[in-house]
Amino acid sequence: MNNRIKEFRARYNLTQDDLAKKVNVRRETIVFLEKNKYNPSLKLAYDIARVFDSNIEEIFFFE
Amino acid sequence: MKKAVLTFVVASLVLATVIFDIITKPSDKNPMDFVFLGITVMIVGFAIFAGFRKAKSESRGEPAEDELSRKVMLKTSSASFYISLYLWLFIMYFSDKLNSEPHVFIASGILGMAVVFACCWLFYNFRGIRNE
Repeated sequence: MNNRIKEFRARYNLTQDDLAKKVNVRRETIVFLEKNKYNPSLKLAYDIARVFDSNIEEIFFFE
Repeated sequence: MKKAVLTFVVASLVLATVIFDIITKPSDKNPMDFVFLGITVMIVGFAIFAGFRKAKSESRGEPAEDELSRKVMLKTSSASFYISLYLWLFIMYFSDKLNSEPHVFIASGILGMAVVFACCWLFYNFRGIRNE
């Protein structure tokens, strides 16, 4: 599964630290998500989508 | 901060026990003692590294544990348990072949389990958990 977290972060001018704090995870988790080394739980995917005012499928997708 | 402090306390207790053992033991040192000492110091170093990571996360206002770290710990525990079974089997096989004292084999097994756990944690922590 791929994601566009980095792209959305740049659009919303958020650092990895900022996003981590907003969704209550460690910064390392955001790093792993952006490198596609970890697939988030549904709750975390939903929380991230909510931060970016988007749907889950806009951020997370299968290639 | 509580979990990081707990890690540091356990690590310092282990280190204090090792130092006490070195001071009180007679001077005729066995080469195996240095191997055990080296492995123990390595394990303590690993615990301090893990503790610092937790403390750093907490000082940044992030949780000490999140869903990724819990999954890493779960995978590490199951993998290290599985590998440790083979380690003990290996030790039992050699305990029959070598005429050493039982406490040496038990100490080797315990230290081996700690090393296996540390290696599994490093592997999953840096590789990540993909598509599982």
